[in-house]
Amino acid sequence: MNTLSEPVPIGSMVPLTGPSAADGAEFRKGMILAVEELNARGGLLGRPIKPIFADTCRQTAEEVVGAARWLIEKHKVHAIVNGYNIGPQNSEYEPIADAGIIYVHANTLLQHHDTVMSDPDRYFGCFMADPADYWYGPGFIKFISWLRDSGQWTPHSNRIAIISGSKPYSIVIANAMAKAAADFGWQVAFGPKIVQTPTHHWRDVLEEVRCTNPAVLANTHFYAVDLAHFQRQFRANPMDCIVYLQYGAMHRTFNDIAQEACDGIIVSSVIGLLRDEMGKRFETRYNARFGEGSTATIGCQSYSNMHHYAVAAAMAGGSGPPGDFEQNRKVAFALKGMIYRSVHGTIRYHPDWQAVVPYPVVTHDPSLGMPHIFYQIQDYRKSLSMIAPEPYNTERFIYPPWMSGRTTAVKPATSQNPRGLIGF
Amino acid sequence: MSDPPVPAGSVHLSEIFAGLDILPFGVLIWSRERQLVYANDRFRRSWDLPVRIGITFEAFIATMAHSRECVLPTDADTWEREQIAAFGAESSADYLFAAGTVLNVTQAPTASGGMTMSFSDVTAVKSNERALQLAKETAEATDEAKSRFLRAANHDLRQPLASLKILIYNCIREEDPEHRSDMLHAMEIATSIMEDLLGALLQIGQLDAGRVEPRITSFQLSQLFERLDVQFRHQAREKGLRLVFVPPHGTIATDRALLERILSNFVANAVRFTEVGGIVVGCRREANGLRIEVVDTGRGIRPEDRERVFDEFFRSEEQRGQKSGLGLGLNIVKRLADLLELPVRLRSEVGRGSIFSVTVPLGNIWHSVANEVEISETVAGEFVGTSVILVEDDDILRETMTQLLRRWGIDVHAAADEAEAIRLIESGVSPRLIVADYNLKARMGVDVVERLRRAVGADVSAMIVTADAEPRVIESIRSAGLPVLVKPVSPPRLRVLMHNLLFEPSLVTVGEPTSAPPRRHMP
Repeated sequence: MNTLSEPVPIGSMVPLTGPSAADGAEFRKGMILAVEELNARGGLLGRPIKPIFADTCRQTAEEVVGAARWLIEKHKVHAIVNGYNIGPQNSEYEPIADAGIIYVHANTLLQHHDTVMSDPDRYFGCFMADPADYWYGPGFIKFISWLRDSGQWTPHSNRIAIISGSKPYSIVIANAMAKAAADFGWQVAFGPKIVQTPTHHWRDVLEEVRCTNPAVLANTHFYAVDLAHFQRQFRANPMDCIVYLQYGAMHRTFNDIAQEACDGIIVSSVIGLLRDEMGKRFETRYNARFGEGSTATIGCQSYSNMHHYAVAAAMAGGSGPPGDFEQNRKVAFALKGMIYRSVHGTIRYHPDWQAVVPYPVVTHDPSLGMPHIFYQIQDYRKSLSMIAPEPYNTERFIYPPWMSGRTTAVKPATSQNPRGLIGF
Repeated sequence: MSDPPVPAGSVHLSEIFAGLDILPFGVLIWSRERQLVYANDRFRRSWDLPVRIGITFEAFIATMAHSRECVLPTDADTWEREQIAAFGAESSADYLFAAGTVLNVTQAPTASGGMTMSFSDVTAVKSNERALQLAKETAEATDEAKSRFLRAANHDLRQPLASLKILIYNCIREEDPEHRSDMLHAMEIATSIMEDLLGALLQIGQLDAGRVEPRITSFQLSQLFERLDVQFRHQAREKGLRLVFVPPHGTIATDRALLERILSNFVANAVRFTEVGGIVVGCRREANGLRIEVVDTGRGIRPEDRERVFDEFFRSEEQRGQKSGLGLGLNIVKRLADLLELPVRLRSEVGRGSIFSVTVPLGNIWHSVANEVEISETVAGEFVGTSVILVEDDDILRETMTQLLRRWGIDVHAAADEAEAIRLIESGVSPRLIVADYNLKARMGVDVVERLRRAVGADVSAMIVTADAEPRVIESIRSAGLPVLVKPVSPPRLRVLMHNLLFEPSLVTVGEPTSAPPRRHMP
């Protein structure tokens, strides 16, 4: 039995090496900052929290499952809290469910819904702290329809082209986009075409797209370097269309490679640091702790998940080690029931999915969902411009420089930013 | 106590007055000289009116007229004059008093040239009368609403019923399975429209009773156009008319079901009254909304009828004697539009056609209701619609595996043996992946895969699952170039292998680990 002063071990599976090491480093920093803040205020009901990091390297199923086992068997962690790991496809849920501990992640996976709902009793402790990848699809379609209907952009047609990478995440998003398109007056004129990724070679598929003369071109592949090559090749012979690139285009690497070719592209994230007072204060603390080169918008994920978990465990009367199903069920109950406003919006778990509900595509109330944020790169040397949704947006959409016969002047939007938020 | 009566010669007169005092109504007796000679006890106790024996009738009426205690039928001076002039004449009238009581005042002449007045409280009687009247009116309104509802139900249900009849007739003769399936789909929609209609009509019944509360949501107009297209395209085609829906862009905010009723009535009328040409349904931006127009090349409406077409049971002269509906559709439109506060307009030219339009406010696109709120991998998972042939001879395993794959959105074609799998291919199944058990009763899975690939005529991706974890067996499967999973199969591992086979074949290593993590596996 643990004594009152003994630390509470909390595991965190982060890619400290391998292709996602940059994100992994931020997830680690987010955990460290959260734990430092919590411990400074007395820890978990008086017990200090001790984070233990497991490197998930390339984030394959074997590596992530191995990390979960190591944390459970060697360190007897009461919970595993982290950002995302691409690749395990929920296989890490098995050792976690066997141990009956809490697992909070941001894997952005539709299959989380199916896994949890297939056996809610077994997976009681598995929580996805961001919306499923699926929601990128209808969210994006609503976004371009909003640009169109609010007069910010006049598309030359209703045709959209969808290119997908070969990872499940990209395929699911591409499928979801295609499925939602017709409801909002769009016609999928190309794709979803799955391209084998990783790749730097996009010219062939771009030529195929060109034949359909789309008003919108979306690429749901998400590797920053690949997307940078895509955008450079697009700009070499552009089409008169809006270009949307999935998540990876938010990374500094993307700007570094694509440079001025970046300007004008749209990118989005279902989880990202907000630019309101809460978000800014967090970023200041984060940079003060880890240095100006740090990326608070990535680190905020594990940071918020850890804080939310700690509050829930305190509400439940404490955390439970592997095997203490009863106590951990109480923690899970508290996590599900508590609406938590994090620095990146609201964490509210859907009672059946045990995944966060997105705003505005599912809930229309910003206090009840995590915002799906749309950014535009308006000047690759500066921060991304947050152009949707209200009330979090800080800038407005501008016409990309490659679009023909149109100026890059800011067009007046019909709706205003009601909270008067301003950019950095 | 009442004042002592006017002196009289007989003692039993006082008994008479005592009897009059307890009458259930007030009594005033006036002499021929128009002076009050008697007021009974009931009158004094019940009404706070200024009477004393000996006052003149004129003074009593003047006080009444200007007391502001009761509602008079005319102005006070006129009433005063009329009452004074009517002294001694028979009359009866009800007066409403400030306290809410209703008093019946009846007067009649006496034989001696004077007059008797009686004052009865009829408040309860009047209240009952009013309640009865209200109940009668409500009953009549309900009855009217019921018959109006039945007429409307008859009218609106005819549209999808007509489509359904045409579809059933065509479907019986249709041999092409694809066309047949299209028609069955359209029939399904027609019945769902009828179902919605009944719901809407019930609402209309309630509309009359003032019980309908519109449910305003933001939604995409295109979704509504699609439903209308399905509802009317068969009827339009039967008449040889072009029916075109111009795809709209825009989110609108109103009651979706009620707006659908409005538009469906517009389109139904357009189809009914157009003989040549066609109908276009589209919309235009207006300052504060979207004007949805239904334009037809029909016979048009005469200027004098343009207001009246929205009346209940209105039918133009040409329509009378024709089988052309009951004239309810546009009345329903008007009532719904009034309820939703949507302006409805009509422009028309006789012989050229008509444009009916309704203007709806724009909605917030971010709030627009998407078709799917409950999501799962069957909606947009990576394997949605992927055709897979599963060969497994164990009935229970085959069923369990089929259920798992279907949950991932896979189009599973399960077979117990090679022969059944071949039959599936011959019947048109074109698999993108084959999943075969290793130890099938008559054949080995590896051979079945080879046979199926030949039948398909392509090198379809395939994998083997086996309960036999003998290294020799595993090796033999791998040497055939097939990836293998050992039972019990872990769903995540199966998912990863399937993904790699279908989308990232370069990641498939036939020699990759086959053992599954312990517990929680598919059999």
